Amino acid sequence: MYKILPKADLPRLIEKWMEQATVYAPVRQGDFTKFEPLSDPAQADLYYAANTRYPPKSLFLPQSEVMFRVKGSEFEPTGDEVSSRVVLGIHACDTRALQLLDGVFVDRDYQDPYWARKREQTTLVVLGCANPCETCFCTSVGSGPFDKRGADVMLIDLGNEYVADVRSEKGQVLFDHLPDASQEQIDASRQVQAAAAAKMKKPFETEGLKDKLYNLFESGFWATIQQSCLGCGVCTFLCPTCYCFDIVDEVQRNERVRNWDTCMFRIYSQEASGHNPRPTNTERTRQRIMHKYAYFVDLFNEIGCTGCGRCVRYCPVNLDIRQIIRSAQAWEES
Amino acid sequence: MSDKWTPRIVVFQCQYCLYSEADQKWMDTQLPPHIKLIQVPCTGRISPLFVLNAIQGGTDGILISGCQPEKCHYKEGNLGARRQLDAFRRFLTYLGLEEGRIRFAWIDVSERGRIQQELAGLEKTIQAMGPITRLATRAIPVGEKR
Amino acid sequence: MNSLTLAIRQEAARLLEEKIVDVVIGFEAGTLPLKAQPAFITRKEEAEKLVFNGFCQNNLAAYLTRFPKEKRLGIICRGCESRAVRALVIEHQHDRDKLYLIGVPCTGIIDWRKIERRVGENTLQAREEGDEVIVTTRDGEHRFRRADVLHDSCARCLHPNPVGADIVLGDPLPEGDPERAWAPVLEFEALPPEERYAYFVQETGRCIRCYACREACPMCYCTECFVDHTAPRWTESMITPGGTQAWHIVRAFHQAGRCVSCGACERACPMDIKMTYLVDKLSYDMMQQYGFEVGASDEKQPPFAAFTLDDRNRFVR
Repeated sequence: MYKILPKADLPRLIEKWMEQATVYAPVRQGDFTKFEPLSDPAQADLYYAANTRYPPKSLFLPQSEVMFRVKGSEFEPTGDEVSSRVVLGIHACDTRALQLLDGVFVDRDYQDPYWARKREQTTLVVLGCANPCETCFCTSVGSGPFDKRGADVMLIDLGNEYVADVRSEKGQVLFDHLPDASQEQIDASRQVQAAAAAKMKKPFETEGLKDKLYNLFESGFWATIQQSCLGCGVCTFLCPTCYCFDIVDEVQRNERVRNWDTCMFRIYSQEASGHNPRPTNTERTRQRIMHKYAYFVDLFNEIGCTGCGRCVRYCPVNLDIRQIIRSAQAWEES
Repeated sequence: MSDKWTPRIVVFQCQYCLYSEADQKWMDTQLPPHIKLIQVPCTGRISPLFVLNAIQGGTDGILISGCQPEKCHYKEGNLGARRQLDAFRRFLTYLGLEEGRIRFAWIDVSERGRIQQELAGLEKTIQAMGPITRLATRAIPVGEKR
Repeated sequence: MNSLTLAIRQEAARLLEEKIVDVVIGFEAGTLPLKAQPAFITRKEEAEKLVFNGFCQNNLAAYLTRFPKEKRLGIICRGCESRAVRALVIEHQHDRDKLYLIGVPCTGIIDWRKIERRVGENTLQAREEGDEVIVTTRDGEHRFRRADVLHDSCARCLHPNPVGADIVLGDPLPEGDPERAWAPVLEFEALPPEERYAYFVQETGRCIRCYACREACPMCYCTECFVDHTAPRWTESMITPGGTQAWHIVRAFHQAGRCVSCGACERACPMDIKMTYLVDKLSYDMMQQYGFEVGASDEKQPPFAAFTLDDRNRFVR
């Protein structure tokens, strides 16, 4: 179902949604944007930056999340406070990431109630990327700037108006009252989509990549590419698909919390005995790449990277995952 | 400010700095309940992290008492401590903490009864300042700025 | 290619050929136009990869402590890197005779954020031409005066010339202006306390605890950082104000009398947090109180490691 939404009407529509739900959208914070709950539709800045710097996975897996509180000898659950939410202006790569993470958090044997509750309560109004960034590579990892998987609604920017491709019941609730798009408008939106995907470069091929990586497991490749890696958590914390967390009892706060954790930290794999099975950056870098491009493929038959380019842009030493994959493909054992 | 408010005070005390047995006994047994005593072998043992932890936990005033320079039981533990803790206090002031919340008392042999005076002085300053708000951040929920 | 790059390549090739060092640490061209990438050269043929320009934004001395002490390292050293190496040698992190410092006077690092703030996210090409930086984006060419897009730490750099280098390539530059260097600290100090605290809260409030500032810093080399301790746990583990403020306070304080003011921490931060103003205050105090400046001497211990009875009554209050 295709609806039409003049851009000038968007604030009014947001206001309408705000009566029923908390609306999240990219909001400017200094030189970047971050998803924040809106108190005024004017705060939403869908175009300031291509991607929000802080990944929207945080709306479902907050960086620090209280799992329960302890009051005296009682446990006090948290998480019930999640009410109906609309996420506006999330891009296809980040939406795709949420869908991949559903595989981790809900679709397998174990259900994560914290994640599931927030996902159920949320409607994703995705904004397709008409102008993908130089650092984006979604088309190389099996996705695209207008990948509709996971979207409740996909907005396609036609300049003065959006064509809204309404794809789920949740989406219908938000867009039902709007007029239908004309065939012309739908055709125009298809052109925008095709043009955007055509503009994108393809920095690497993924054919045979998984097997290649498994073959490289013990090779000198990892020691070579990791040399400049500082071992910080920028790539993994900004990554929309990295989901590792660490559970901590914050005794002074009377809380059990879970915090994002990253395989790039030395203490991530440190055992209580002091032994560390991933003692150096070499093993840690290998883990990060292998998880996304090999283990994830084994588990879900999908690459665990959506090509958003955050790790490429913000790595302090310009260690570029596209370059790593290219080098892996080209690596010959000497 | 309500009259009822009693400041929370922490004393980091070098175990050798009170030369008068009566003073030490007073510290060990007579301290009012709102003053917590943390005795250390030497001021050199006081990591700035201890001070920060106390501040973050909502301590309104901190007294650090140690020996005069040449009187350190461990020869020079206090010399290093003085440089570090003084710089740390100055640093917290730079960040916006009120200056009088951390106080030093470097006590000499002849200064019987000084520790009580220092505590009274600190308490007076803190009473005038009111409860700590800046940097007292422990247990603030995620996303809240204070 | 600039003449410095050429000279660096020649020197690196010579060092490797004559087996004076095992590795040369420098920069190679990055995958993004506004960035270069640290490079580790072990064969003389690879020296051709090396580049040197204003986009080399990391402090290479940060890699020094990652190599075993017996490795002989050649390091491209700008002013800040050479001072960091000196400080690390004083702290026994490497033997000076196992290091070969290729000194390069530095005209400052170009801040990619300042450029992107003006031209947007899609840079296609970037190059330096004399005092200008020329950036090509999807919508055309943009020219900037180099001075306008320098990283803040570089704009107020005091010592652009390397100290104690084994060889210096390029001509020495005039020293920086101390008044300009310390102005931000003094201005901040003059603000009312509540404003100072509000600024600190606002900056640390964005912290995501990725520790890029720690890892990018040449002087942060503890095998176990205080935030990684679990027993005792020194700070809240979360991104709460308690956790992030403690991190920034203690990180900065641990740099007192050790920070070389290179600004690598701020350049590494993915959340644009301003943090050099913290350590700069400590550096300023160390200079005022103890006349100590990192890298000024190759034997003087930092103030917290050296103390004297002469401090006597300075603190009594």
